[in-house]
Amino acid sequence: MKKIDKHLLIAVIILSLFGLLMIYSSSNIWAEYKFNDPYKYLKSQAIFLILGYIIIYIVSKINYQIYYKYSNIILFICIILLILVLIPGIGSVRNGSRSWFGIGSFGIQPSEFVKLGIIIFTSKYLNNNKIKSIKSSVLPILLIVILLFGLIMLQPDFGTGVILVMTIIAMLFISGVNMSFFIKLGILGLLGIVVLVIIAPYRLERITSFLNPWADPLGSGFQIIQSLYAIGPGGLLGMGLGNSIQKHFYLPEPQTDFIFSIISEELGFAGVLIVATLFVTIIKRGLNISLNQENNFAKYLAFGISFSLAFQTILNLMVVVGLIPVTGVTLPFLSYGGSSLLVSMVSIGILLNISKYNSK
Amino acid sequence: MFNKQIHKRIKVVLLIIIICFIVIIGKVFYIQVIDYKKLSNLASNLWSRNLVIGANRGRIITKDNVTVADNLTTVSLVVVPNQIKNKDDVIKDLAKILNVDESKISEHVNKSSSIEIVHPEGRQLSFDIADQINNLNYEGVYLLKEGKRYYPYDTLLSHTIGYAGIDNQGLSGLELKYDEYLTGKSGAIKYFSDAKGNKLDKSSVYEEPTNGMDIYLTIDYDIQSSVERELNNIMDKYDADDAWSIVMDPNNGEILAISSKPDFSPTNYQNYSIETINRNHAIWATYEPGSTFKIITLAASIEEKTVDLLNDTFTDSGSITVDGARIKCWKSGGHGTQTYLQVVQNSCNPGFVSLGNKLGKEKLFKYINDFGFGKKTGIDLNGESSGILFKINNVGPVELATTSFGQGISVSAIQQITAVSATINGGTLYKPYVVKRIVEPNTGEIIKENKPQIVRKVISNETSQTVRMALETVVAYGTGRNAYIEGYRVGGKTGTAQKVNNGIYMSGNYILSFIGFLPADNPQVVVYVAIDNPKGITQYGGTVAAPIAKNIMLDIIDKLKIEKSDYTLEKVYNWYDTKYETIPNVIGQELSEAKKQLKNFTVNYSGSGNIIKSISPSPNTILPVNSTIKVLLGD
Repeated sequence: MKKIDKHLLIAVIILSLFGLLMIYSSSNIWAEYKFNDPYKYLKSQAIFLILGYIIIYIVSKINYQIYYKYSNIILFICIILLILVLIPGIGSVRNGSRSWFGIGSFGIQPSEFVKLGIIIFTSKYLNNNKIKSIKSSVLPILLIVILLFGLIMLQPDFGTGVILVMTIIAMLFISGVNMSFFIKLGILGLLGIVVLVIIAPYRLERITSFLNPWADPLGSGFQIIQSLYAIGPGGLLGMGLGNSIQKHFYLPEPQTDFIFSIISEELGFAGVLIVATLFVTIIKRGLNISLNQENNFAKYLAFGISFSLAFQTILNLMVVVGLIPVTGVTLPFLSYGGSSLLVSMVSIGILLNISKYNSK
Repeated sequence: MFNKQIHKRIKVVLLIIIICFIVIIGKVFYIQVIDYKKLSNLASNLWSRNLVIGANRGRIITKDNVTVADNLTTVSLVVVPNQIKNKDDVIKDLAKILNVDESKISEHVNKSSSIEIVHPEGRQLSFDIADQINNLNYEGVYLLKEGKRYYPYDTLLSHTIGYAGIDNQGLSGLELKYDEYLTGKSGAIKYFSDAKGNKLDKSSVYEEPTNGMDIYLTIDYDIQSSVERELNNIMDKYDADDAWSIVMDPNNGEILAISSKPDFSPTNYQNYSIETINRNHAIWATYEPGSTFKIITLAASIEEKTVDLLNDTFTDSGSITVDGARIKCWKSGGHGTQTYLQVVQNSCNPGFVSLGNKLGKEKLFKYINDFGFGKKTGIDLNGESSGILFKINNVGPVELATTSFGQGISVSAIQQITAVSATINGGTLYKPYVVKRIVEPNTGEIIKENKPQIVRKVISNETSQTVRMALETVVAYGTGRNAYIEGYRVGGKTGTAQKVNNGIYMSGNYILSFIGFLPADNPQVVVYVAIDNPKGITQYGGTVAAPIAKNIMLDIIDKLKIEKSDYTLEKVYNWYDTKYETIPNVIGQELSEAKKQLKNFTVNYSGSGNIIKSISPSPNTILPVNSTIKVLLGD
């Protein structure tokens, strides 16, 4: 037995501490305005971060085989939670989505944990069933994913739903499912989009509006324009830590989905390169851990976790820089938000535990 | 084997992920580096708030340094609602100081605009009130400088100056024509604001406003005042429809005064019709010039040597028949037999018809064109007309005859004074102008300067001299006697023109004019006066317009310190039988020869010697026969 992947751990610690700093820098104006306390978000996130480090420590000690053993129960609990959160009185609405279990001022999003649950379940499933035919092997798992996606879309939380579906498809991809399946899936997806557009043509405008946000600067283009107004003036070296102007109420809730804009504004292209390097390091270490496993369950689990993090990161960054329409996905380790951070830390804990069993 | 395929696909996924990151970084690079300028500017526009500080318009200043268009510096109250912490206090205090209802101030203070001008309650405040507001030291309450156009002399020179509107934009006259020079560049207090309108600490830039350029005119304030006063008097006295006048320096085309009545008050321009504001009759109105135009026929005849003024005679029977049409002289029964100089003095129409016939239409019209009639003079004022001449091909004997004494054509006052200036200044036609230079007020740098502009040389210096002398006799002995000034040599010509409406002469409705200049031997100013339809007076230019011109010339003499001439023609009351002679130039000649040539005059010799040193009055002066002249002798 070997030691945990220190590079991964260090990268995560640096990135999360940096995130804490940027959450303070981007949120202090809003916090002062809303709560009369510029440290409001900083304090809250700091508590979660300490909790997160403890979780990393604990989870990295737990042998990953335990998830194999309890995968069905975990998934079952996840489905129950997803149903419970939809019931008014139990689940609470924040930002237009009934996605939360409110505990005081803290909120827990079950859909974040469902992501982890279905990755564990799928890993076990792929480990146990050699892919023989699409019908008998892939379809059952797809049906479960569609069920979960449907439940998440009832909240609705489109971003998390897409991450979940794409992560499972990526896992099916590496498990050796025939390429023609993915091609068919792609065609099916395109057809779905076409049908949706034909039913309601305004959707096409929604989809394309991100290409020219200035067409509707106060509506659909508002967030992306405000994001570009932050990134652009940042230039090569940024305006200096704490000197963002866009955080002064121009960019709404700058500490959440669009925190990367404020990082770009204050630290410039140089800061962007550093953040990107940290993310790529974490993702690459995660995928390396997957490559180094003899055990297929561990291999799939490590891949699923790493891919999910990577996909969420890319989804967030592409929105922020205006490459894709706004989806409402947070940036792992950097965005403000307790449950998002805790799930990320659990994921890293699992990865670190698996890394102990590296073959090389 | 199986693991190998998984690993391959994991690596494919890694590759795709890395490509995605590269794309994202590439996009950030594009935004931050390639699109930097555009986005930076846009963002800067979003963040920055401007509190505008008005610039002063350039002043308009006369030749003798009187500012006729100035600015009042005022301050206006501006509030930035989001920066005001304690709105109730601010509302209470401002309402008290401005002495208005609290609800009015409350409206402004609670508006959701980023910068609110407290209009009208807080516009153009006195310094006393501004000081009180300033002492409150409230955040979000600003006092910003605002210039307001001010015309200290009200209606004086109003058509030329024009007026500027409420936002200091030039709307007519020089205010409009030179708006780009007169308009300054607003300054601002620039600061970055958050999305709620609060001032961010970082930055507050003060951009000083740049005042507009000053315009210096050729106009002389005192002469202009004199003209305005005289025209106002005549409008009152005779209830005239309109009256206008121009004073020009004949030696360079500078306009010393120009006025048209009725005029307007630029400060209260809203109270006047657009016609009153835009119609500067001195350049806009065209009309039959009448007898003042005879100066042109006279100059052309002398230049072409078709007449000997002193020796050729013309017999006026009271009318002349041209091509079957009878043209009457203004004096019923006619002037009898006269020399052509007397024809000029008497302003005898049949006499001028004969001058026109001697010239022929080609020559007469060549001079009319060369003196600038039929096209705009190009004076630097808006609203000039070109006038109307007969087309040369349509000119028959009747048209030639009427044109010779100033009927059947249409000219403007500015054309007449410009042309007459050329006939008496030695023969050079200048382009008239009112703007002398445009000056940057802080550095004194001259941005633009107008210099005298020669259009063409029309007649010779000798011809011009003869015209001057002939016109001097008109004032001393002829129809222009009402403009005679004791001690000064004044030349001039009257004009009485019947107005035309729809091609028919209106009965009892005349434009009376006089054009005069002094000193006649070396003209420094030309004065033109025209009165449209005065009532209750004999309608002759000599009786109405000449006395006004005389009053103006008296003021000019004071202002320009024109010295008395050592010799002047004596005013003659009964001039019909007078015979005239020109003083020959005998300076430098021997006494015996001079005596022969001066035989028509009574000569007082002084000094000793055999050579003529000087003659007073100067050679070429036209005098009645046997007048006394002085001759200084030397060796």
